[in-house]
Amino acid sequence: MTWTIIILLAVGVASLRLLGMYGGTALVRRVPMFERLGSLIPAAVVSAVIAQLTFASGKSLTIDARSAGVAVAAVLIWRRAPIIVVILAAAATTALLRL
Amino acid sequence: MSETSTSARPEWGTLIGIGLTFFAIGVTVNVLVYEHVGSAVKTIAAAGIVLSATSELAYVAVRDVGGSVLAALIAGWVVASRFGLLAASLGTRIQVGHLQRSCAALNCLDPNVGVAMQQPTPKGVITAFWWVTGALHLGWWCGTFTGVFLGNIIGDANRLGLDAVFPALLLAIIANLLRQKPGLIAALVGGGLCAALLPIAPAGTPIILSLTGAVVALKVPEPKAANS
Repeated sequence: MTWTIIILLAVGVASLRLLGMYGGTALVRRVPMFERLGSLIPAAVVSAVIAQLTFASGKSLTIDARSAGVAVAAVLIWRRAPIIVVILAAAATTALLRL
Repeated sequence: MSETSTSARPEWGTLIGIGLTFFAIGVTVNVLVYEHVGSAVKTIAAAGIVLSATSELAYVAVRDVGGSVLAALIAGWVVASRFGLLAASLGTRIQVGHLQRSCAALNCLDPNVGVAMQQPTPKGVITAFWWVTGALHLGWWCGTFTGVFLGNIIGDANRLGLDAVFPALLLAIIANLLRQKPGLIAALVGGGLCAALLPIAPAGTPIILSLTGAVVALKVPEPKAANS
């Protein structure tokens, strides 16, 4: 990874973020329906990231110890456990199932 | 995400959890990037100016399997496109000047936008955003320097179950959004679509297409006591 690559990667990522903040926000504000869409984006996009991190193994889907750890986390979140407890339980469950 | 009664600052437990998670991510990601780059200065610079572990990993992964520089760059940009979507979402809820707005855009990540968007007021949104940003930067930078200079002190992250920590953290962060029907529908459709497309779609695109979940959820009536 050369300096040119690092800068190109950084400029691309920064441009996407700024485009979203200025272009996306302007669009959302111009069309009233989009305003509500904006508030729903985090649930949809972050859930997609969670799905990928929980079930993806390369280009295939799998249910494994990691999925079980996230499932335990989901139950604890539903029971309103503190976030520290949630992430420690997710790690411990996954690690124990891999012993 | 619960918060204190007097401010929009998330609870310390939440901030510590986010910081620790980003420490673990910082170590594991930057050990990999350092192996690929072979320079401490470049690894630290990339960690700071790209500020997207997934983009760096996407670039390294494509190059490691023999992909071209252009293909690797495009992969890195595509996986970061979700930050643009999150920035658009955050942008609708904050009332700040251009300098702070630009700084916020450049720091948009999943946890800080996820926590911030659950605040009821524009001031609360930006306050929570910067608190979480501070926590994740602290963890990320400690992890980056640890990974670069001390190596992988964590050991086999998968053996310790650390690969389950980030999805668990993100789930905890958006939990309140999931307790309302529109948020739940957006999450189920977005997450389900992403999972279904993962085996067939190019890297990064399933996450962009998960936006469909938010569009579908527009059909669900808004709850009477919605925050946002």
